[in-house]
Amino acid sequence: MITSNAMCRGEPGKRELPRSILLSLSLTLSLIAPFASAQIESFSAVSDEMLNSPASGEWLSWRGTPAAWGYSPLDQINTENVGQLQLKWSFALDDTGAIQAAPLIHDGIMFIPSARGVIQALDAVTGDLLWEYRPAPPTEEFINSGAGTRAAVLPAGAFAGVGRGVQKNIALYGEMIYASTETASIRAIDARSGLLVWETQVADPTLGYFYTAGPIIANGTLVTGITGCDRYKDDVCFITGHDPATGEEKWRTSTVARPEDPGGDTWGDLPLRFRAGSDAWVAGSYDPQANLIYWGTAQAKPWARAVRGTDGDALYTNSTLALNPDNGEMAWYFQHIPGETQDMDEVFENILVDIDGRKSLFKMGKLGILWQLDRETGQFIKGTDIGYQNIVNLDPITGQITYRDGMIPRIGEELNMCPSTSGVKSWRAMAYSPDTSAMYIPITLNCELATFGPTERQLGGGGAGPVRRVNYHHPQSDGNLGEILALDIPSGEVKWRYRSRAPFNTAALTTAGGLVFAGDWNRTMSALDANNGELLWQVRLATSNQGFPISYSVNGKQYIAMPVGTGGASWSGSLPRELAPELSRPRNGSSINVFALPD
Amino acid sequence: MGNCMARLKLVAALSAAVCALGVSYAQGGTVWDGVYSSEQAERGEAVYKGACIACHGQDLGGNSNSPGLVGMGFMFLWEGRTLGAFFEKIREEMPTDRPGQLPAQDYVDVVAYIMQANSFPVGDNELPYDAEILDGIAIAPKS
Repeated sequence: MITSNAMCRGEPGKRELPRSILLSLSLTLSLIAPFASAQIESFSAVSDEMLNSPASGEWLSWRGTPAAWGYSPLDQINTENVGQLQLKWSFALDDTGAIQAAPLIHDGIMFIPSARGVIQALDAVTGDLLWEYRPAPPTEEFINSGAGTRAAVLPAGAFAGVGRGVQKNIALYGEMIYASTETASIRAIDARSGLLVWETQVADPTLGYFYTAGPIIANGTLVTGITGCDRYKDDVCFITGHDPATGEEKWRTSTVARPEDPGGDTWGDLPLRFRAGSDAWVAGSYDPQANLIYWGTAQAKPWARAVRGTDGDALYTNSTLALNPDNGEMAWYFQHIPGETQDMDEVFENILVDIDGRKSLFKMGKLGILWQLDRETGQFIKGTDIGYQNIVNLDPITGQITYRDGMIPRIGEELNMCPSTSGVKSWRAMAYSPDTSAMYIPITLNCELATFGPTERQLGGGGAGPVRRVNYHHPQSDGNLGEILALDIPSGEVKWRYRSRAPFNTAALTTAGGLVFAGDWNRTMSALDANNGELLWQVRLATSNQGFPISYSVNGKQYIAMPVGTGGASWSGSLPRELAPELSRPRNGSSINVFALPD
Repeated sequence: MGNCMARLKLVAALSAAVCALGVSYAQGGTVWDGVYSSEQAERGEAVYKGACIACHGQDLGGNSNSPGLVGMGFMFLWEGRTLGAFFEKIREEMPTDRPGQLPAQDYVDVVAYIMQANSFPVGDNELPYDAEILDGIAIAPKS
């Protein structure tokens, strides 16, 4: 671990950290060209209590609260007046990488993560820029340094641009903004000034490690999940806990069972270096009463069993992990798809809802199965297959998955599968509304003729594995690629579906005004009636809606904020291009767009 | 654009000249026939670093969202097809944030770089921007 002090700049009352023993390296990571135009005076430190029970107008966690409902208790904007929404302000974001932003709101300030590590603080009422943190890109010297032991295996600089600069979410705690980077470090930035306070190198980016998920705060610990774990190396993927004051690593929990560990035999005879995947690329949730964080893991790599060389379950891939944030100990795990073999990821958001007094966790992966688990024990409660996949059968009593005949791919043999590797669902988080007791789920409809191919089993090799693919429309889609599906909880019954030609490309946002907000790839942002799916309002924005919409209030006025941008997973562009070629979008135009009722 | 068109015409003229000289790889050749030059691959590497590396990686190995362009994975995806098909794929779809927006010569140069990265042999002539010639070059295992 490399810890740099970066640029504390002697701010009064701030802790001055010791200079790194690897100063030259740290400088390459931490040189900043700050556009610190203002010192925010009206900023109150964010406490654990505030995070766990935020005021109604605040949006302090990436999905609003640690329970990740994606729900705003504000109701000023409602089904009766949403048609009057007006654009109040818009602010351009960098087009240098993918935008999948989840803004935060505190004390009337919007903190927004942008591409390539940029973070901006904006006046949430006017859109005025208060400060901007803008890291310098890694220097050629850093790239060529190797910065680790495997530089000879993966060429120096292999990380360059990997992940396309995605920075989904950031965390607020105390007087800091916390971010994780595409160069596998985490940063603390002074929320008042936008200046870097510390930066800690968590993993070696030349091994392929990077972050796309941001951190969360749980019981005073900063928790992050790494990604970029698809290449073969003498290490595996992990989740870490850090001291928010210094960045010091408190614990590290592997998301892959090592050969000598319990569950290690679930990878067959594969040595550690060939146990890839289980990336933790979506931020977790937190239950302060149970003092457990819930974090998803991705599928094993290479994707197909036949390619990775084991039919085993491959723990702890494609699982939900319950970890103690104080020490990283695993309280329980639930593996959704043991031995997953088609890139059907289950890494996504964990929504914590109590159902009839039972503390539950809801999750949906690419297969479109809504899981309900007991979040205290990890016990399976219910699974609802929404009926768009043809790959597995789900035992409704035990929650066990079995593959349908012929649906385990063999190398070089074409498989007709629904969904495609885009998934029925992906990072576009669903939202829960306690007012309707329903989940609102952004769905992508399509299927794929897939032929999985081999990859080199050698250090530096591996990866997802090649796939010849031909995407086609889902037979139940009527030519539509997008859907918002409302499912009653806990019955799993369909309340309504709202479909669109273009894929939905944002998380869903629910509000106490009886509304569901989401946006699609074709620039259209929509407000739907949460009860019946009726379309109540639409607007076209600069480019694809992309990211995590939020709602907040300042001085008694409610706002809705929608990020738009391009980049991200390759299929987000290729699916519309192949299956809805009449649609197009600008290749730039990244921005945050804020709406409210007329004054 | 004018500059681009001029380059296209020049390439087309050079291609015609190459064809007229009866370069053997134009008909029934494979990637093992020395179909690109080292200078062209060098130019292609610069294009790759500017437009492709962010997704496919410095080692051309790709990641979960972007296919690898070298080795076993590349051959799995492209063996039995032609350089023309490969060229058309990347010219029409790459880079994903601005498909088809690179100069035509850049596309053919980056194909040359990918050939070099796959250890297909270098030759004396450049890979031309000529669909007929590219379609005549098979991506095949070493015989």
